[in-house]
Amino acid sequence: MNNTWLKYGLNFILIVLIQGLVVNNLNIDEFLNPMVYPMLILMLPFELSLIASLIISFLLGISVDGFSNTFGLHASAAMLIGYLRPTVLRYIKPRDGYDSSLLPSIQDMGIPWFLGYSSLFLLIHHAWFFTFEILRFDLILLILAKTFFSLIFSLLLIILFQFIFYKASKK
Amino acid sequence: MRKLFKFLKKFRDFLLFFVLQIFVLGLFFNSKNYHKAQLFNTSSELIGWFVEKKHNITKHFSLADENKKLSEENAGLLDMLPESFYQLQGDLWYINDKLYKQQYERISAEVINSTTNNRDNYFTLNKGAAGGIKKGMGVTSKDGLIGFVTDVSDYCAIVKTILSEDINIPVKLKKNDEHWLLKWDGFTDEIAQVNGVNRDIDIVVGDTIITRGGNGMFPVGVPVGIVSELISKDGKQTWDVNIKLSVNFSGVYHVYVINNLFQEEQAALEARITADE
Repeated sequence: MNNTWLKYGLNFILIVLIQGLVVNNLNIDEFLNPMVYPMLILMLPFELSLIASLIISFLLGISVDGFSNTFGLHASAAMLIGYLRPTVLRYIKPRDGYDSSLLPSIQDMGIPWFLGYSSLFLLIHHAWFFTFEILRFDLILLILAKTFFSLIFSLLLIILFQFIFYKASKK
Repeated sequence: MRKLFKFLKKFRDFLLFFVLQIFVLGLFFNSKNYHKAQLFNTSSELIGWFVEKKHNITKHFSLADENKKLSEENAGLLDMLPESFYQLQGDLWYINDKLYKQQYERISAEVINSTTNNRDNYFTLNKGAAGGIKKGMGVTSKDGLIGFVTDVSDYCAIVKTILSEDINIPVKLKKNDEHWLLKWDGFTDEIAQVNGVNRDIDIVVGDTIITRGGNGMFPVGVPVGIVSELISKDGKQTWDVNIKLSVNFSGVYHVYVINNLFQEEQAALEARITADE
């Protein structure tokens, strides 16, 4: 138990630093604003309680905010998916429940399941983030374009990081 | 009874979510106004330490370019020294005269973190209060206008760049002193805007835009950019003007923080007007 939380703590620090120091500095194009830190929320255990998921998302978001000078915007978007995740997971639960030794990663759940799962939450996260960042009706096309292109880039990075950081859980 | 407990638990979760959302969105919208306190940014001590470490690694990638730019700038400045001029007449100036008094001094600093893709973009500088930087000072690079300082810690400072919503820095047309407020629409880091320009003004593509120096943050005449497009909208009596910025915001390394030595005097004088009203 202790070991698991230690691992999550290290993951937390690592992903905040990767997001804050590396990914934030990939100034490629104004439409590309990739975010990899939602991966940590997506990788939380299946049966984690809503309160724990919410608090972890809040801490994660506010740390990323510190690095990107967005003053709470990342925390807001992260908390939204942290809040929705347990509910959505309950709706898409297989008939005999989740195997508690597995994580929602590519290696454990397969590529099609993971793609659907992560793109749904990234879409919610990015749409919320860019809507509040821009917050103008007449720029709705800009919001959509930023959401769409950043989503694809974030997804690619998250899939790459999945192969680097996570191994298949022991069955 | 059990149903009631279940409902209360759900409600507690939602309440926590709701309260935290209000808190963080409140922080975010407060940050639009730089006079209010800002939590959690790259000038704070812990995050600043990480950003400084990253900068120590990545700065070497751009050093060659930066050295070239600096030496070009030095050459330009050396050209302005009295020794570079041939004196056509006898002694006409005195070094310690009473005609000129220094109004602006510049503090050089390096950009150690920057964004250009967000709606509000900030630079982090490697100098802070210990280097003499204060909230509200203007920042320029050798190419032109950058922004102004919105928060300082002992060894870092945050600069809100002109690539931000409601930046509202007073600018003017170089050739006839017509003045407006600078805006940015959030699309590309090369173009900023000025809205509501009267059509009877003599303005053409290619005109130079400079700072007006009105709020005391910048001297008069810091380059902002060049008029690149005049847009007329149906039913409006005014132009919207696109300005090609003279600074390449994705490649800024050395900047100058401007200390206006007369700032307090100007503020005190202007405060007297509002007090009279």
